[in-house]
Amino acid sequence: MPEPLDAPSTTTTPSPADVGTLTPGGFQPLLLAVLSPAFGYALRLTRNRADAEDLVQDASLLAFRAANTFTPGTNFKAWFFQILTRCFYAKHRQQRRRPTTVDLEDTPDIYLYSRSAASGLPWEGDDPAARLIERLGTERVADALSQLPEEYGVVCTLYFMEDFAYHEIAAVLGVPVGTVRSRLHRGRKMLQKVLWQVALEAGIVADLAREEREAGGRP
Amino acid sequence: MTHAHLSRFTCEEAFRRLDDFLDRELSAAEMTLVHEHLEICEGCAREFRFEESVLNGVRAKLRQIDVPAELQARVLAALAAEGAR
Repeated sequence: MPEPLDAPSTTTTPSPADVGTLTPGGFQPLLLAVLSPAFGYALRLTRNRADAEDLVQDASLLAFRAANTFTPGTNFKAWFFQILTRCFYAKHRQQRRRPTTVDLEDTPDIYLYSRSAASGLPWEGDDPAARLIERLGTERVADALSQLPEEYGVVCTLYFMEDFAYHEIAAVLGVPVGTVRSRLHRGRKMLQKVLWQVALEAGIVADLAREEREAGGRP
Repeated sequence: MTHAHLSRFTCEEAFRRLDDFLDRELSAAEMTLVHEHLEICEGCAREFRFEESVLNGVRAKLRQIDVPAELQARVLAALAAEGAR
């Protein structure tokens, strides 16, 4: 049974006054409020819609049975995501993440910034990476994330998909906050390197560089 | 880069806090020091803006999830069956 989490409430979690004691009737609205983000998280973990649906349903049943371990007024979403994460590892322990072809060791800081500046892509302004990320699109970004080594990919998934603070990610995964911080720092660097490689292979870098040159040549 | 006050962060000190600053995981005092540095250092400010732009862009893309319409009904049915046991 999962341990109750003592993380602070988030905006997506009803206030303690709304929760009261967690009866079966009180459990349902809390669960429904986190079902969509839970599916998104499950989809990134399983990378398969059918498996993600099964995972959310299995986690919902486990959470329902363990409802008496949840402390009303604490963070239901983090508590449920902890159950979902454990459920995933119990069912998919053998599943391997897609191995990346990019060497992720010793990735320098601000990798995309350096590469963009050196390659003639936008690197200044209020939202300088917007066009690059927009061209990459949801599928390529999600695919890049799935190429990170497991321990980094899961932390980055929780970080990017939800508004979890470091201590909430730590609670979901059952690891120290310092571990979350270091994995997130490295994972973000790795992700930038993979994104750049994906953008290169898709011709996005060349397209954006050409567009920048053409825009710069205008009177 | 030169700095007017020794109490302000250097570029290196500010850069070391880039991730925690963007994630608002610094103390209030450290947040202020990084803010002050970014106000006087355009080079660091440009790097921070780019990193923030990447984070926001990736976040926006990954949150575009098409949730199956029947998922909620399916979960509720499973809970009802569990409760009826």
